[in-house]
Amino acid sequence: MTNLTFWVLLLPLLGFVLLGLFGKAMPRSAILTIAWGASGLAFVFAAIGFFSMLQTTPAARLSDQVLYTWVNSGTVATGVLAGNVPLTINFGLLLDPLSATMLMVITGVGFLIHVYSAGYMEDDEGFWRFFAYLNFFIFAMVLLVGADNFLFLLIGWGLVGLASFLLIGFWFTRRSAVDAARKALVINIIGDFGLMLAIFLIFQHYGTLNYLNNSAGNGVFNLVTPGGVAVGITTAICLLLFVACAAKSAQLPLYMWLPDAMEGPTPVSALIHAATMVTAGVYLVARANPLFNVSPAALIVVAIIGSVTALFAATIALTQLDIKRVLAYSTISQLGYMFMAEGAQNYSAGVFHLTTHAYFKALLFLGAGAVIHSLGGEQDMRKMGGLRSRMKITYVTFVIASLAISGIFPFSGFWSKDEIIGSLLTRAVNGGGTLFYVLWVLALITAGLTAFYMFRLVFGIFFGSYRGSGPLAHGHGDVTLADEEEEHVQHGGLYAIHESPRIMTVPLIILAFLSVIGGFVGSYALFGQPAWQPFANFLSPIFTSPAWTKVPVQDLSLNPGLTWLSTGLSLALAILGIVVAWRKYGRGFEYRESKNPLYQLLLHKYYIDELCEAVILNPIKWVGRAATALLEGNLLDGGSRGIAWVSRGTSSGLRRLQTGYMRNYALAILFGVVLLVIYYAVVRG
Amino acid sequence: MYNGIPISWYLLISAILFTIGVIGVLVRRNPLTIFMSIELMLNAVNLSFITFSSYLNSVDGQMFVFLVLTVAAAEVVVGLAIIVSIFRTRRNINVDDMNILRG
Repeated sequence: MTNLTFWVLLLPLLGFVLLGLFGKAMPRSAILTIAWGASGLAFVFAAIGFFSMLQTTPAARLSDQVLYTWVNSGTVATGVLAGNVPLTINFGLLLDPLSATMLMVITGVGFLIHVYSAGYMEDDEGFWRFFAYLNFFIFAMVLLVGADNFLFLLIGWGLVGLASFLLIGFWFTRRSAVDAARKALVINIIGDFGLMLAIFLIFQHYGTLNYLNNSAGNGVFNLVTPGGVAVGITTAICLLLFVACAAKSAQLPLYMWLPDAMEGPTPVSALIHAATMVTAGVYLVARANPLFNVSPAALIVVAIIGSVTALFAATIALTQLDIKRVLAYSTISQLGYMFMAEGAQNYSAGVFHLTTHAYFKALLFLGAGAVIHSLGGEQDMRKMGGLRSRMKITYVTFVIASLAISGIFPFSGFWSKDEIIGSLLTRAVNGGGTLFYVLWVLALITAGLTAFYMFRLVFGIFFGSYRGSGPLAHGHGDVTLADEEEEHVQHGGLYAIHESPRIMTVPLIILAFLSVIGGFVGSYALFGQPAWQPFANFLSPIFTSPAWTKVPVQDLSLNPGLTWLSTGLSLALAILGIVVAWRKYGRGFEYRESKNPLYQLLLHKYYIDELCEAVILNPIKWVGRAATALLEGNLLDGGSRGIAWVSRGTSSGLRRLQTGYMRNYALAILFGVVLLVIYYAVVRG
Repeated sequence: MYNGIPISWYLLISAILFTIGVIGVLVRRNPLTIFMSIELMLNAVNLSFITFSSYLNSVDGQMFVFLVLTVAAAEVVVGLAIIVSIFRTRRNINVDDMNILRG
């Protein structure tokens, strides 16, 4: 097996450094060569690692490269490591089925987004800066996924937050973009704090931060046993880890930053929502599965939060009018599915949905970006419609992605989502109890809602007649011809709208292809035949093999009958959702704002932003204002002004001594000498 | 001591010379005179060194004298250069007019 993770990590970093330092002076071709080269080669190296891993036996699919010893201190004797074990913290890169899968998704989808961005950001002044940040984002994410211990995970985790801050606030002259970037950073830091606390607890009780045993010492996951550390502690660790995951993966109650993150350029939304960032939480729960396995309480929390988030976000998406906002809430909802699966201990289903979601969600965002780009920045669905005839490739690929996310047979989302829903039912039957039945029902409802809001979006953008007044600003030079302008006036602007350039449509086509076939690697989960599930089998060592864990996941192979039942139900609900959307919006999206209180509640996103403002922000502002009024003026300013006054007074007295006349200084020296002489001669002598 | 002249006489002359030098530095206004007064102080100290060197039968004191002479020569060079430079800019070298470093 070839472990090239180091190069996967290094190349995007190199690209970032080169572009960041010299990009401003480079021509576009050089910028693209570096940015595409770095991300493309990173993908090639990740693919070499992945495919060489497939050649080996499952037990041998573990390569932990220790590259550098960062901390090598004395001995620690805490936790389960009895006796004195030296504390070493290394920088190492772990390549195993989980990280190999993640690296493929990150670098692969990341590279396609790099390609697409060349078209999308064509006219932007910050072209070089954008690609520098994109490379940095890939680097941070590879570090997060490739690290072999919790400390470097934390570093990657923080850098991903920083990268998202930079990209969301990319158009930093826009107030709303800056606010969104700040919001994302603040919420991410709440998550980072949870991760830090979890790491402290892990260190206290396990005395090491490595994931797995390696040449440098013990690994946490190899030390986790059901009777080892008290279950309460493990639950605390898991919940703190989950705080971090919820912040990164936008789960309740830390999801608020993601809908605002669309303030960044659309390729950034695609990158954040699909390939990187939000997948980090799903990855971490899967990575830390031994810890979660010994804490049933934490698993239940994960499952409940996932289900509730999925339903919550899906209901908000029903009413939104901004196409990127609908997609943002659908991302939150789909991430909820992934956490549901992980809460039901079907970790591989969560990761499977992560990969298929990466394809179709990247496709949806890039397709939405193509629409927005053609309309010169218009994002409001009320001013779209009828684009089907003008943007054929975008239309077809967008529909494919919508079918995939709705879970329609045989698109990729069908296989991954139905495996998740089926595993919830299986878990309910196998001792999960009423709770998992409820979660299963929630997941089914969410599936129906997903289909509805996605096709509401499809019909709103591509069907009916055009409701806008032409592109807001010309995206392309070729629409300025006079006769086209005339047509533009006559036909309500629709004829001024053009399909995107090939550099943007090719990534769409590739992603559409993946969205169609991407599910087949896990497709046979439905039939209850473990040998027929290549994806789950590939990942299973992480959750069962002794090299990775001592608390293997109990066998949760799906019951075929139950799975067919749940699949049939969810497929029926999804089709029902599409049919309802067709009946309501198929002939064009007519917006009528309903006075229905439920509708208003959803349209205003449950008033969560207003609630936060009232409960969290306003009290902070009040305290701030009170502090300004009471403390700032008299106490703090008074104190510092007092100090300044005292020193000014003293110095104005003392500086009289400094006359500038050399003679006075000489006299002073003489006096000093005389005093010393008197002291030694008279007093001491 | 040598020829019966007591050591205290030498030291007395040294002290007198030193005091004259100090007073010169303090009261004169012409920097050249001040320099000469400083030289006088240095030479007073040299005299003490040589006296003790002879009294103690040791060459240490004479070595110090050479050191002092060298430093004094260097100091005069630098000092005169400064005085020339001041004179060029201000056309005047009265030390009472030089107080721009006043606090």
